[in-house]
Amino acid sequence: MIGARSQDEFVAARRQDWQELDHILLEGGESLAKKDGAAISRLAALYRSLCTDLMRARAARYTPDLTAYLDALAARAHATLYGAEPFRLPDVVSFFTRDFPRALRQNARFFAIACALFFLPSLVGIAGALASDEFAAHVLPSSVLQGMAQMYSEGLSGRDAGTDTGMAGFYVFNNVGIAFRCFATGVLFGAGSIFFLIYNGLFTGTVVGHVMSVGHGGNIWTFMCSHAPFELTAIVIAGGAGLEMGYALVETRGRTRIGSLRRAAPSIVRQVLGAAAMLLIAAGIEGFWSPSGLPPPVKWAASGVFSLLIVLYLALAGRSAEEAPR
Amino acid sequence: MIHRETLREPLDTSAEIETPEHVRFRHQIAGPARRALAYLIDLVVRGVIVFAVGMLAAIGGIAVGPALRGASTGFVLLVLFAIEWGYYVFFETLWSGRTPGKRALSLRVVTDGGQPLRFGDSLLRNLLRAADLLPPFIEPLSFLGTYAVGLAVMGRDPRFRRLGDLVGGTLVIVEERHTVAGRFALRPAPRPAELASLPARLPLSGEELDAIELFLRRLDRLSPARANELAEMTAPVFARRMGVRYKDATRFLGVLHYRAHAHRGQEGAASGPKPRRKKEVSA
Repeated sequence: MIGARSQDEFVAARRQDWQELDHILLEGGESLAKKDGAAISRLAALYRSLCTDLMRARAARYTPDLTAYLDALAARAHATLYGAEPFRLPDVVSFFTRDFPRALRQNARFFAIACALFFLPSLVGIAGALASDEFAAHVLPSSVLQGMAQMYSEGLSGRDAGTDTGMAGFYVFNNVGIAFRCFATGVLFGAGSIFFLIYNGLFTGTVVGHVMSVGHGGNIWTFMCSHAPFELTAIVIAGGAGLEMGYALVETRGRTRIGSLRRAAPSIVRQVLGAAAMLLIAAGIEGFWSPSGLPPPVKWAASGVFSLLIVLYLALAGRSAEEAPR
Repeated sequence: MIHRETLREPLDTSAEIETPEHVRFRHQIAGPARRALAYLIDLVVRGVIVFAVGMLAAIGGIAVGPALRGASTGFVLLVLFAIEWGYYVFFETLWSGRTPGKRALSLRVVTDGGQPLRFGDSLLRNLLRAADLLPPFIEPLSFLGTYAVGLAVMGRDPRFRRLGDLVGGTLVIVEERHTVAGRFALRPAPRPAELASLPARLPLSGEELDAIELFLRRLDRLSPARANELAEMTAPVFARRMGVRYKDATRFLGVLHYRAHAHRGQEGAASGPKPRRKKEVSA
């Protein structure tokens, strides 16, 4: 006998519970962690009875302002009761030992395409800049080229710690930003990722080629060798994740475009997070180790070890019987 | 879960959520203007943080000397990076879908199933900002985005989602504390003469009575002139139907409402649907 009650009678009978619920929600900033056990069980009971009230109000076709009030109260109670999953340390560990390399291996196709999109333009840049100064001048403003040539004109003899920290901060800011943009713009059907991969590849290659052509090739290669395995791999991983995202919009496998994007989401989040972690490592090396005065053979040895570790890690970590065949 | 029929709902600014209790309630979806305001507040907050850190680093650099100057530059850049890419993820994860700006405008990010936001969802939707903010403003404001792409995508989506929301599977909802209107009472109470001029059984449909009730419950939020303007849209129709005249449209609707409910009170609600447009004397 829902209809038997007028709205005013209904509100008068239930209002006290609603106000109590509102009051419990307001206490402690709507966070469940800041409430004691009694308040939580009272909150849960009030929420369930509120849900009943809401259905009743809708069935009896009470005025929209009443249902809007109940809707909003139910939404707030729901947001408080069903809190976000807690952050757990084992998840972080299994992310690095298993989830990230697996996600990358499953996306090997786009990783390979991203490698080609980045490294082929790099080679073009190196070759072009070595062949003619005009090529370099076409790609980059001459001020940038002169600055780069100046930077690598002296041997690496170590800097003071302050400058090292400063540069490490710059590399985090600049390089992780580049990688994130490389990824994010992939949502435009992959176009942004393709553009940024080629652009950054050509940029990097041209700088290296130009510095080589003015005679400081040894310096720049020795500088780059230690952090490049981390940095360039990470940028390519981010670009590959962007391509996967763009392709999910094109090849939907019977889903809606948005559904297809959502399906790819867990994999692309893992790859971008992994790439970000690699870039942080790269920034540390680039800031403190690469510019140090250590003899070049030591740096090249480190480069070899780093490269080997990265390949082994990405190829083997988390590879066990439980890896789902694709 | 949002159900497909939600998309055909007449109200296009709400999304229906079904909870684990199989209760459905509606979230009000936030529009671009409100979200832009929240963005501006967050922008100011971010600017203040970066400025404060920059000042501290500069003072530290001058005080300690060149040894620290490079390090403090690096520190400022780290903070700049953390603010640019981490600010939203940090607050949305910590405050369950809210940033200071969203909090100020009672906005919250939830998953499109109405569930609280997880870290991965927040990360995706905020990384994708880099695509939504395209194209950037021209120099010297090129570090800010125009959000043209995001706005265009929002305009095409029935739930105002930008690219980051689509990929992250999120919605931005309005979460306000509404108040429920109190009992409506006609003041001064209707005079017998006013009631006598009305037919004993009102020729009004249930929907018309609902509309009158909704209007009367909103009276305390309307200025008298505006209330009268609204009442004048319907009062003449009802008056003509009943063959009566009125002086004050708002009061006329109030009397009708009073009469309808007094009538219901006498006969009880079980009397069934009232006949429409039928002028007859009740028993």
